[in-house]
Amino acid sequence: MADFVPIHPLGDPEAVSKASSNAGVTFDIPPDLSMVQVFARKGQEDNVIRKLGISDSPRTASSQKSFNALPLSPGQWMLVGNEKDSSKFEAAIAKKVAGIGYVSQQSASRVCFRVSGPKVRDFMSRGCRLDLGESVTSKGYCAQTPIAQIGVLLHQIDEAPTYDLYVYSGFARAFWHWLTETAAQFR
Amino acid sequence: MHRIDCPWCGIRDEAEFQYQGDATKVRPAPDASQDAFFDYVYKRDNPKGWHTEWWHHVGGCRQWVKVVRNTLTHEIHATGAPAEKLSLPRKKKRGSK
Repeated sequence: MADFVPIHPLGDPEAVSKASSNAGVTFDIPPDLSMVQVFARKGQEDNVIRKLGISDSPRTASSQKSFNALPLSPGQWMLVGNEKDSSKFEAAIAKKVAGIGYVSQQSASRVCFRVSGPKVRDFMSRGCRLDLGESVTSKGYCAQTPIAQIGVLLHQIDEAPTYDLYVYSGFARAFWHWLTETAAQFR
Repeated sequence: MHRIDCPWCGIRDEAEFQYQGDATKVRPAPDASQDAFFDYVYKRDNPKGWHTEWWHHVGGCRQWVKVVRNTLTHEIHATGAPAEKLSLPRKKKRGSK
C-alpha cells in the first residue's frame, strides 16, 4: 500500500503568500507544528501542571522550551510544539504525564492560521466577539470562541499583535475563505 | 443579548452558550418511585423572576455553568461552577427601591 502523503490544508500551498502581499492583514500557516491534547486524570490537575511546568490560569498560555501549552478547559490543555515528528512529540509528552494524565494526538486534526499586520485588530473585530483591545489582552492571551460560526482556539503570540487561530482541519478551507474575504477590505 | 460570566473564560456572549434548563432538579435515588422520576424528568416550574439554570458553554470551554437569571428582566445575578451553591437575591420589601 502506498504511503499516505499529507496534503496542504488549503489544497494550494501558494494561497497563503498570495493572500498576504500588500495587505493590512497578513497570513501564514506555520509549518511543522505538532499538537497533542493533554487531559489530567481525576484529581491530578495540579500534578500535571507541575510536571509540565505550565500556568494554572485558564486564559493564559504558557511557553516552555519545547512547546506552548494552551488551556482548553479545567484539566485540559493543547500542547503545541515546533517538532516535525509528531509521534516523537506525543511520546515525549505522554512520558511526562504517565500515570497522571492522557494525551491525544491532534497534529493532523487542527490547522493553525497565523494572522498579523497593521490592521489585524480591526480585522479580528469583524468576526470575533472577544475584546482584543490593546489594554485588554496581551501576549499569551488564550481563548476558545466561535469566529464566523467556526470554533477557534485563539492564542496571541506577541504584542504586534499576532494571533494564532487553530481550527479543525475540516473547517480550514471554509475558515480560510472567511479570512481572505474579510481581509480584502483592509488592503 | 445576555452577557454570561463563565467561571473559566470570563464574560462571553450568549451566542456561545446553550440553555440547558432548570439547575435545581436533583436526581432521585435509584430505588425511588416512578412518580419521583416522572417529576425529575418532565415536571418544570415556569417561574416569573429569579431562576437557577444551566448554561452549557459550548462555544468556549465546553463546561456547564450555573446561572441565576431573572426571567422577567434577563438580569444575571450570579454565575458559578456546577458544584457551587448560588443564592438568589434577597427579596426587596414592598415600596423600597
